[in-house]
Amino acid sequence: MEIFILGFFALGYLILGGADIGVGMLLPYLGRTAAERRTVIAAFAPFFLGNEVWLVATAGVLAGLFPLLEGELLSGNYLAIVALLVGWIVRDMGLWLRGRMPGARWQACWDGAIVGGSWTLALAWGVIFTQILPVPIVAAGVVALLFAMHGLAFAGLRLTGELRERAVRLTGGSGEGRTYALTAVALTGLGVLAGAELDLAHSAADAGTLGLLVPVMLALIPFLVAAQAWVWWTFRARVTGPSYL
Amino acid sequence: METVDLARLQFALTAGAHFLFVALTLGLATLVAVLQTRATLTRSPLHLRMTRFWGQLYIINYAMGIVTGLVMEFQFGMSWSGLTHFAGNVFGAALAIETLVAFFIESTFLGLWIFGWDRLNRWAHLALIWVVTLTAYASAFWILIANGFLQNPVGHRVVDGVLQLTDFGALTANPASLVAFGHILSGAMVVGGFFMAGVSAYHLRRRTHEQEFFRKSLRIGIALALPATLVTATFGGLGFDTMQPTKAAAWSGSADELAQVQADMVARFGPGDYLPPVELVRTAGIVMMLLFVIMFVVAAASFLLMLFRPAVRGLRIWHWLLTAMIPIPFVTMLAGWIFREVGRQPWVVYGLLTTQDAMSHVSPLEMRVSLIAFSAVFGLLIVINYWLLARHAKRGPDAVALGSRPVETPAPALTF
Repeated sequence: MEIFILGFFALGYLILGGADIGVGMLLPYLGRTAAERRTVIAAFAPFFLGNEVWLVATAGVLAGLFPLLEGELLSGNYLAIVALLVGWIVRDMGLWLRGRMPGARWQACWDGAIVGGSWTLALAWGVIFTQILPVPIVAAGVVALLFAMHGLAFAGLRLTGELRERAVRLTGGSGEGRTYALTAVALTGLGVLAGAELDLAHSAADAGTLGLLVPVMLALIPFLVAAQAWVWWTFRARVTGPSYL
Repeated sequence: METVDLARLQFALTAGAHFLFVALTLGLATLVAVLQTRATLTRSPLHLRMTRFWGQLYIINYAMGIVTGLVMEFQFGMSWSGLTHFAGNVFGAALAIETLVAFFIESTFLGLWIFGWDRLNRWAHLALIWVVTLTAYASAFWILIANGFLQNPVGHRVVDGVLQLTDFGALTANPASLVAFGHILSGAMVVGGFFMAGVSAYHLRRRTHEQEFFRKSLRIGIALALPATLVTATFGGLGFDTMQPTKAAAWSGSADELAQVQADMVARFGPGDYLPPVELVRTAGIVMMLLFVIMFVVAAASFLLMLFRPAVRGLRIWHWLLTAMIPIPFVTMLAGWIFREVGRQPWVVYGLLTTQDAMSHVSPLEMRVSLIAFSAVFGLLIVINYWLLARHAKRGPDAVALGSRPVETPAPALTF
């Protein structure tokens, strides 16, 4: 059961967070002008806070249910994790700060932070996956491209008009819904393969701790999903203009 | 410096930066929730504007708090895998509950609150800010359960060199946790109260046109800050009863007491230096108490002064003083944190695991790279945060973007 909980949050992050990372990576391609870029960001702005908490939750689940593995994974991939965190922070700073002041230079600077941070984040994930899975390091780039592709599909689902066409153009004619499903399956597969490589069964916490935490977490999951579903439902309409960020 | 010192420095910078942001977040969230409740109940446009203005400052600060917090969460596994290995069954459980019960909900609903302005029913929108505020408290609670365990380990036994959780009730009822929770939560209200009063006093002193807005805000800030200083002091006093012997000896500074505690510890744990850096612990404790006295006097005097409208309107020296007080609660918070955390050294889990043994096998080069990267980013974050807060606070409620549908203004043509 503890493996299911870890998988639930980790895969949830890859699918949900992966989409907004991908959009961030392709921000210069999707948004050609400052106004367009702001609309592209609005496509995921209401979601990204709720998306990134899946990774925080994954880290929390690791700490609670797999404390041994947490230490091994994080200290064993030290520099990749540092890059991941720095990319994450820089990207979030860009998202929060770009709209806080007027001025083309200020906004261009933080747009750069969003793009650079998103690429760093995606490549750091690529490196972490190549360190877990028996694949060569070039696969890190492929993982990053998968994030980008997932982001394109998500942008296609969220935007309208020319911005949507721009997003769909690169993913072939199969429709953005289908592309999104495919990239989501690919990310899930990647997560499952990596999970299978880890020695989950032998690094779980002590039975007493599991007996306490697992039921609590299972009981919480429906509430967490409901909270997020409320967000998705509220902002389900396609985006046509800028939002708060 | 040795790698373990670098790792400690890195954790201290992360936790310290996070603590600065969190203190203001907890205080402001509470104030914003109260303002929005008033606005929703009475449909008062003034209170709605107050909600948006203070809410905007709250969000600026919250965003910065989040990114420092997540670095902290990952650092346990990165630099302190000895701790997760040894105490993961207990310490990790509290962290896990924190992320799921509190943080997950807090962030999800905050996103809905920020972006859902004018899209949601106003009662639902009000409920959101309360959920966000209460889950922020819950977050602080669970983090202090984890921290209290490091200060005063309870509810566990050691099996094969690893801790096992035996009594969850004892873990959550740990006095070292509960007293700290009360102390820090009320301390956060002091931070929020003085922040609101100080920003309001700035506008009153500058005689900006938002007189009514900031008179009311100033009163709310002081009305929170005064009782909060008293509650903070009460919990702080209780905290002295739960202090570890070595910290108590460091605080007293008496050579005899220090020698006695050192001898006791050697008798229990074998040879070694078991005393925390005495000067640092004492200085931090004294700074905390002195600044508390200053805050209490200013808050009490301000409480009396604000009963007289002419003073609120025009006593500029008081306005100036209140604005100058804004940083004081932050410094007090940091001093108190140093007093608490450094006082427990050299233990990470008091009496059970030393900081040295808690370290991961990270190379000195790796540790230097991460220390430089995180310090640079945090330094930048702190500067930008306070600069933006000051800028938005100065510009007043007219410039607030929160809750209004933004319009993309065309970039001005460059003329050079």
